[in-house]
Amino acid sequence: MSLDVVSKPKPNRLQSTRAAGAMVKEYWDRLFTAPDRGAQVVWYNGSALNPIFQAAGIEWCHGEAFSARLAAQHLEGPAQLAGEEYGYVGELCSYARTHLGCAVLTQRGKESEQSGVVGMVDQEVLASKLPSPDFFVNAYAGCSTGQQWDEISFRVFGKDVPLFKVSLPMLWAAKPDAGYLRGREWDNASRYVARQLHDLIGFLEQMTGRPFDWDKLRESMGYIKRAAELRREGMELCKGAPTPATYWDWIASIAPINFLPGDQALVDYFQGVRDEIAQRLQDGTAALPGERYRLYFDGIMNWNRLGWLANKFAEHDAAVVVGRYTHNAFWQEPHLIDPDDPILGMAQHYLLCPTNHGSHVLEELMLRDCADYGVDGAVFHATRTCRAFANPQHVLATAAQRELGIQTMFFEGDVADDSYYKDEVLESRLEAMLEAIDVRRMAA
Amino acid sequence: MLERTTEAIAGLEAIADDPQGYAQRWKDEHDRKVIGSFPMNFPAELVHAAGMLPVVVQESREAITEGRNLMFEFYCGYTRSLADQAAKGQLDVFDGFLFVDHCIQLLGAADGVRSRLDGRPMLYAQLVPSMDEPWTGEQVREQVGDMREQLEAIAGRPIADDDLAASIALFNRNRALLREIHALRRGGRAPLTASQMQALVKSSMVMDKARHTEVLEAIRDDLVDAAGAAPERIRVHLSGHFCQAPQPALLDAIEECGAVVVDDDLYHGFRYISTDVAAEGDPFAALAAWYQDRNVTVPCPTRVQRDVDWDDYLVDALAASGAEAVIVLMAKFCEPHMLYYPELRKALDARAVPHLLVETEHEGLPLEAFRTRVETLLERVRRDRDLVPAGAPA
Repeated sequence: MSLDVVSKPKPNRLQSTRAAGAMVKEYWDRLFTAPDRGAQVVWYNGSALNPIFQAAGIEWCHGEAFSARLAAQHLEGPAQLAGEEYGYVGELCSYARTHLGCAVLTQRGKESEQSGVVGMVDQEVLASKLPSPDFFVNAYAGCSTGQQWDEISFRVFGKDVPLFKVSLPMLWAAKPDAGYLRGREWDNASRYVARQLHDLIGFLEQMTGRPFDWDKLRESMGYIKRAAELRREGMELCKGAPTPATYWDWIASIAPINFLPGDQALVDYFQGVRDEIAQRLQDGTAALPGERYRLYFDGIMNWNRLGWLANKFAEHDAAVVVGRYTHNAFWQEPHLIDPDDPILGMAQHYLLCPTNHGSHVLEELMLRDCADYGVDGAVFHATRTCRAFANPQHVLATAAQRELGIQTMFFEGDVADDSYYKDEVLESRLEAMLEAIDVRRMAA
Repeated sequence: MLERTTEAIAGLEAIADDPQGYAQRWKDEHDRKVIGSFPMNFPAELVHAAGMLPVVVQESREAITEGRNLMFEFYCGYTRSLADQAAKGQLDVFDGFLFVDHCIQLLGAADGVRSRLDGRPMLYAQLVPSMDEPWTGEQVREQVGDMREQLEAIAGRPIADDDLAASIALFNRNRALLREIHALRRGGRAPLTASQMQALVKSSMVMDKARHTEVLEAIRDDLVDAAGAAPERIRVHLSGHFCQAPQPALLDAIEECGAVVVDDDLYHGFRYISTDVAAEGDPFAALAAWYQDRNVTVPCPTRVQRDVDWDDYLVDALAASGAEAVIVLMAKFCEPHMLYYPELRKALDARAVPHLLVETEHEGLPLEAFRTRVETLLERVRRDRDLVPAGAPA
């Protein structure tokens, strides 16, 4: 091994986020064993409806989370192959393609059929673990593909499984009073979605045959609010240089805030993350020793390349400190949550998905975050099959250059299909951007 | 077909190929505003009733160049072309835009266009894509009310019930004429090519509706007079291709291979003309109901509705037209179509209907390769008919 390789800097990841792995594993294990316990299972996509499912006493399977999990474990291939064999074209959202492939496998498993291409070993690994749905719920903000995804799952399962849909309007912000958390569009959409959540609860009561446990929902949302506050506090502590935690630490914390149960363990997790960051600040411990560049990351995560990307940026002394996917999502405005009367605040968070705004608002949020975190450059992950995230990227990059005078770069990849990632492209463009930052600094 | 009919269709084709040129001439002549909309569900009657010209912005045939700075290459041809036209200043004739469809790629394109509009409005009144919820009707009526308010602000005048009712009647007349002509084709009796039929529909999306209707009436009369026996060719149904019109060269190639296109569910075809707006009652409520009705008449995968199936519709349409094969034209990167296609395939396979999936691209397809694929499909149909002589090579 050459000295050059040994000396490459590595990110000093938070130790506290390691707990997420065990928590997530426990969640999936519980889901995989739901049929053995006679528990009902809902398949859902999009918004974090899990507190509602938790209060209804059912197990929840988040399709995107399952696709992301497979991609992160490099196990997405068989599901995608099954989807392709069924007829899904490779340019379709790789989250949906992976999950629909699982649906095809699960359905075949139910019917005791075998796939012609995907062998039984793969089916056992994937499909037999994913319990068949007792019903579907769709509540997808921003992306039309996400909205149609569960309807297609519904068809894959022969239209025999009940489907409930929550419609989340896009916050287009074209009217004079419109903006982030303000205006008539925001108020109307919030009330519209809140009404539908009440209808969803009625649907769940019908599916479970039990009255909905409102106290449980209030309790769960109390925990989630507290966890979200701690998460925001931790993020706030990362505004100074060198940063005590990076974007990659927040990526590692997405699963807990996105779909794990609202309980004391969730609060404890984010308390641990927040406290470790505070301790690092006190001790002067950097997440990236030798931090030279602070970057903004736009786009959804490339789950196939999670550790790879963290190392790649670290090798160049580039600390990714803030991003749209991490900082503008996942219960990010906890002040909106009233645990005693949580529905409206939940509806508002479902609308606040970072793909559900027109570019005016996204521009406002990105410029604010770049300024707050002292960013030198913005990296745009042009996600081949996630148009929801790719949509505003050209407009945002132009705004970052125009308004803040910072460098921007694009690299190609995908959310759950590794074939679209080109390492050489990222390498050369990152080097070019960092050199441009150096030149600018010297000129200053 | 009479020469005057051929010329009239060619005139419409020229307008359909240059919508902005037509809009500019109309604007100069009438000194009124032009409103652009995007496919596929915008109720253009509202714009007409406000005294403005509604135009469905079309995919340009131009190569995409400057639009690359607004949209990635992994978007459908329509949305990339839209961004390209905006970047080149080719949408300047429009006084504003209003659209209603929630397609993630369309939203991206509209946002890109918005960044180049210099303050002209890019308005969005999202019609809920979930069609069969208890609240769908109310929500759509609210959005129609919102559109009314926004259009009245641009037009600087209110939209009266009577004006809207008159616009609805005119648009219904136009759709009815197009359906009459389409029915002649379904019977195989109209001497009209698929690309000519497309020109009739596409020009309707662009032109002053009264003028288009006048031209259409003359064409219809001539076609009825000229209607003959159905030709002995393989009857084909064209399916798919939503927002953008398939390139005429593809349609011509299909027919040159020995097929006759007798039916379709294309947006630049039967999907656009399928459903009338109720002429009775509150015209604003009628427009809202039309949105829901047309997804029942011709189901669309961009909408979500449990009790309506595009695959069942397709199978029924084949039975009605006697089409023996289906050519599925999928605009590359069109996600609703990619999601639904396997369901179509299952339905067609279950009935042993020969079909061919063709992914089309803005930049075009190699025609010879396309012809070979179509000829192979038609050959399969001939075999199914047992028309291949005994001993012919397999």
